[in-house]
Amino acid sequence: MATFRTCDGMKRRDFIRVGALGVGGISLANYLRMAEAGEVKQPRAKAGIFINLPGGPSHMDTFDLKPDAPKEYRGTFNPIQTNASGVEFCEHLPKLAQCADKFAILRGVTHTLGAHALGSEYVNTGSRPIPALQYPGYGSVFTKEHGGPVDLPPFVAVGNAGRQKPGFLGVKFAPLATGATPRAGQKFSVRGVSLGNGLTVGEIEKRQNLLGDLDTAFAGFEKNNQLLDGLDRFSQQAYSIITSKRARAAFDISQESPEFAKPFGEDAFGTSCLLATRLVEAGVGFVSLSLGGWDTHQDNFTRLRERNLPPLDTGLSALLNGLEQKGLLDSTAVFVTGEFGRTPKINSRTAEGGRDHYPRCMFMLMAGGGVRGGQVIGKSDDKATLPASTGYSPDDAAATFYHNLGIDHTREYHSNTGRPITIVRNGKVIEDLFS
Amino acid sequence: MLRTLSLAAAVVSLALPAFGAEVIEPVSKRFAAEDVQEVPDFRTHVAPMLGRLGCNSRSCHGSFQGRGGLRLSLFGFDFKMDHDNLATGEDSRVNLETPADSLMLLKPISDEFGHGGGHRLDEGSWEHRLLLNWIKTGAKPAAADHADLTRLEVSPTEIVFSKQGQTRQLRVIAHWSDGSKEDVTPLSRFQTNSGQVAEINKAGLVTAAEPGDTHLVVFYDAAVVPIPVMRPVTNQVGPNYPDVPAPTRIDVLVVEKLRKLGIVPSELSNDAQFLRRVSLDLTGTLPTAAQVETFLADSSANKRTRKIDELLQTPGYVAWWTTRLCDITGNNDDNLNNVVPIRGRASQDWYDWIHKRVADNVPYDELVSGIVTAVSRNEGESFTEYSKAMSSLYNPDSKESYSEREHMPHYWARRTFRQPTDRAIGFAYTFLGIRIQCAQCHKHPFDQWTQQDFQQFTGFFTRVSSGTNPASRDEYDKLQKALGLEGKKGNQLRRELPRLLKKGKTVPFQEVYAIAPRRNANNGNNNKAALKRLKQQVAQLEARVEKFKEDGNKKQLAAAQKQSAAAKQRVKRFAAQANKRRNGQGAATAKLLGGDVIKLTEHADARQPLMQWLRDPNNGYFARAFVNRVWANYFNVGIVEPPDDLSLANPPSNKPLLDYLTQGFIDNGYDMKWLHREITRSRTYQLSWQPNDTNIKDELNFSHAVPRRLPAEIAYDALKSATASDANALAMHTSMEGRAIAIPGAGTRRNATSYALQIFGRSIRDTNCDCDRSSDSSLLQTVFLRNDNEVLTMIDNGRDSWLSQVNRELTGKPLAGARNTGNQRGAANIARAIANQKRRIAQARKDGNDELVKRLTVQLKRYKSRGQQTQKPQKRRTEEKATVETKPSDAASLVRQAYLRTLSRYPSETELSRSVSYLDGEENIVDGLRGLMWALINTKEFIVNH
Repeated sequence: MATFRTCDGMKRRDFIRVGALGVGGISLANYLRMAEAGEVKQPRAKAGIFINLPGGPSHMDTFDLKPDAPKEYRGTFNPIQTNASGVEFCEHLPKLAQCADKFAILRGVTHTLGAHALGSEYVNTGSRPIPALQYPGYGSVFTKEHGGPVDLPPFVAVGNAGRQKPGFLGVKFAPLATGATPRAGQKFSVRGVSLGNGLTVGEIEKRQNLLGDLDTAFAGFEKNNQLLDGLDRFSQQAYSIITSKRARAAFDISQESPEFAKPFGEDAFGTSCLLATRLVEAGVGFVSLSLGGWDTHQDNFTRLRERNLPPLDTGLSALLNGLEQKGLLDSTAVFVTGEFGRTPKINSRTAEGGRDHYPRCMFMLMAGGGVRGGQVIGKSDDKATLPASTGYSPDDAAATFYHNLGIDHTREYHSNTGRPITIVRNGKVIEDLFS
Repeated sequence: MLRTLSLAAAVVSLALPAFGAEVIEPVSKRFAAEDVQEVPDFRTHVAPMLGRLGCNSRSCHGSFQGRGGLRLSLFGFDFKMDHDNLATGEDSRVNLETPADSLMLLKPISDEFGHGGGHRLDEGSWEHRLLLNWIKTGAKPAAADHADLTRLEVSPTEIVFSKQGQTRQLRVIAHWSDGSKEDVTPLSRFQTNSGQVAEINKAGLVTAAEPGDTHLVVFYDAAVVPIPVMRPVTNQVGPNYPDVPAPTRIDVLVVEKLRKLGIVPSELSNDAQFLRRVSLDLTGTLPTAAQVETFLADSSANKRTRKIDELLQTPGYVAWWTTRLCDITGNNDDNLNNVVPIRGRASQDWYDWIHKRVADNVPYDELVSGIVTAVSRNEGESFTEYSKAMSSLYNPDSKESYSEREHMPHYWARRTFRQPTDRAIGFAYTFLGIRIQCAQCHKHPFDQWTQQDFQQFTGFFTRVSSGTNPASRDEYDKLQKALGLEGKKGNQLRRELPRLLKKGKTVPFQEVYAIAPRRNANNGNNNKAALKRLKQQVAQLEARVEKFKEDGNKKQLAAAQKQSAAAKQRVKRFAAQANKRRNGQGAATAKLLGGDVIKLTEHADARQPLMQWLRDPNNGYFARAFVNRVWANYFNVGIVEPPDDLSLANPPSNKPLLDYLTQGFIDNGYDMKWLHREITRSRTYQLSWQPNDTNIKDELNFSHAVPRRLPAEIAYDALKSATASDANALAMHTSMEGRAIAIPGAGTRRNATSYALQIFGRSIRDTNCDCDRSSDSSLLQTVFLRNDNEVLTMIDNGRDSWLSQVNRELTGKPLAGARNTGNQRGAANIARAIANQKRRIAQARKDGNDELVKRLTVQLKRYKSRGQQTQKPQKRRTEEKATVETKPSDAASLVRQAYLRTLSRYPSETELSRSVSYLDGEENIVDGLRGLMWALINTKEFIVNH
């Protein structure tokens, strides 16, 4: 009988019910009307992959080069031709250049949050962070909207969850964080999914039988209590995940054929990308992963060339090619972004120079689902200091990603204090990506 | 003192016929006649009617962006803006010349004019006539000296239904300060707090639904009035109610309510249930097997009371309630970055400071005072002395504790707590249990608070700052100079300080300090005057522009336009700066919520009067909020639920009960232990969870215990203690070292326990909401309990586990399997380290860094040799099994022990025989126990407090 009121007078209990029918119905109708009017196209993706590049990758040295800018801006990298006509980017991304037709580049994305924590929260949620509320990350929203198969965790964060947090949606929508990243060619032990400590499925079944016989204290009362009922349902699902061959196989990258696995390389990011493709193939709805180390205040060029660009080049190209090879690229929306770009003007902290935090101009990548690859959307000015025209916001990118995932970003949730919150309040779908 | 609270209070005492002035009959009657001449009033009639018609709702014109070019204030209490937007300017929605053609009438009447909100108004209805008359008579705004609403009288004051479908009509009478009274039923908004119990329509007609109790809420002007409504669950009400024991005052008050509802409370819990429940609730700690046995064997009559007193003396009580106080005060490490020179220390200080006061049972108001009025320096301390004291405290060899200091200032130094508005919101959440944030942008939808109330309240928070106190700049520079750190700032400085502290140097500290009042502080009134002058200039220039336009003087026009634009910019800039100036200087006055205006210039610290107000016996929130939160800890729901939402529209489920506890808490000098004792001693708290036919659906009236998931920290600690050896489980009661309930701050810093605590929903302490802590269940929690290595390892965990203890007792050897597990993990780690090392060496070779290659190679050798050692004994557990001979009696007693340490009770006969047969079916008894322990910690009974 517990109820919570919301700012518009709806009660918590009501919107548990209405959430399933009413509001969803209204919102869906709304969405369908928009779709009819040609404002949105039917999205294609069934799964999502979010790749975070924490630290803030330099846009000018990766996907938004300015070879004609003055020396103190330009940097030392040269542009190369890609397999998409008219699209050029950094010479140290040769493998991505060979599959540039599979992803689209967003240039001139802009915001104003120059601190790692705030910027990351922004690009991981599509909503500018506010102190009164934690917005949910993409994966949690996806899980809430689409759920997942019964014998697989619906949302997996390879490594740690980073800023892909459930926020006000609550612990139910948190990702299963694998903790570690898999190692090439080896069985990957994942917390909660892999059988640990010498356990076998047979033993688990035996224990489960015992548990069934002993867990009777609340017998007959479960249906009268939300908590107990929930515990029973999760118990069933946990059991099917733990005993599921499919779940264990999904995490086991050593089962992948060597020819398929080879292009991913052996570093942690490559194997994470390989795992992501396997998980999506198995039916996991959403996977997040990350490649860090982009905070190049010093020795920007050496660090990018030697440490950061090679794994990104290898891992991401293998991911996109791999998805295509498995026939999954059309049904998997991929979104790659850091929290900001870096200062167009090179600093002189070290002899080689570095670049500092710069949210006003950055790049993002999108692929899969309805996204047409091989194109550049948006433009920055001559020195990559600002978008050339109005530019795009992280909100727009998030709205676009959700759209690609078949989620109406204008849908309203209620925060746990009952405040109505739009999934992405200020974003507008970037239609050009889909045409 | 509480201004509009009296609106609600009055309702309770009403039912008297209004005397004095006649009650004016409702607008629906007065405007029924076609030839009505009455002039309606904007505030009294027009604005509330627009609210009733839904015009100012969030999805319509109440949206902050407005709709169709018209914006009205959300929940309608900004009469000026609403009037301006409707009836003035180019975009005016009224037509004074032909009133009937006013857009605000045409649009909602007919589809012809494309109203997004559809058909809302019928032509010729009384509503239409009311609006028309208002426009006909000039569409006047609300008078500046409009009378105040002094009381909103609603009748009946309580509704008791007996069967579904019964109806009652509410009647609402507004009492104005000029003595007039008007029936405003057709102008009020109505809401039910639970449609399952009663529905209410737009006209205020109430219809009974299912049995239960809730409130109907009536809104008019700023007033919010709740009316209780109930339908008894059974016919066992009043004289038909059975004789139910009610040994304490709490029980009497709870049963009084239950008697009205026809709900009979459950039986008393048994001793085992009671012990487990009270140990978890009061001390955050699972009882040990021995404690359970002792308690069950004790046959003295007062053993429960003695147990409660005993538990209140344990370190677990102190740690758990410190954790809860850290929750509501917002101890979050992430938000305390750089507040002190050592990472993580500020949240540790915070925890320690509260911990000491909980241990000493310092009165709650005193504890809070040490936070609310906190400055970093102790009384009489100079900045240098303060820095010296802190440096000595932060020296790694120091035996001193921050808890000895007078205040806990970190509360004010959080990065999310710097703006006066953020502080007002956070303060109201923590110490008043109210959600004032709604009133930051619009009238509070469920309470009396207006935007003005919010704004005036923020004044208290403008005169405290954190960082480097300008008044101590010289001392600060001197200290820095002495350390050779002149001119160093920010990160550069921060890197040096921990090193210097380690060496025992005195380094300058940041501090929280009050900004002393200035004599000429005036809430920016000077600014207002200046702003007015600037605005006048703009008006003059615009007039010139108009004139030149008419004259066709193009040259002059361009110049004037330029000047006018520049003047507008000046206004904008000045307004922004004035805002800044005001914040820096601190407000001159501030207004307590629902209370007096305080002249801050008369106080050295603006927070002093605020603290006085918290302690005022008439403060309706401070003690109440705490009492309600403590209650919620024991009963799953507060007497007001959610517990951090004390508001007029969200009344307590049992007001006399909350009143009694609040008053008792105050009368007992804010003694927190009194409160815990009073609650846990009650029969109500000690009731069984097992429901009966009358109370099975009740979750709000405390007629039985409600099963609830263990809070994250307690769940984690319970897993540890259930699986630990007897000695270790006991140690968890005496020392809080390594306990999850002793983790000082929330935050993203990772440690071994953070994954588990995160998925079980430990409070994130970040958004001013009790919901920062979650008690929901989730798939990941269950997967964690079933199959996470962390849990499986706890069961097996080396010598410290109960399993190993049993093995030793039976065979004289430690547990082989457990060691292997550790080794397998160790081996994997080392293999990984070796691989990494090889990569690093290859990289160093490529870089030509010979020295690094050499150093890394030495390390690599070390890893390799360690790897060989760990691999030696690595055999599968099954191969190395000790043969354990056990007698049947051993098995039964081990099963009993397993039950006692997990579920805190003896197994039933069925459970015992099922468990023993499981043990028999395994190769040896230890393997059997491993499975049994797994099953027991995976029962609902384990993870739930019941």
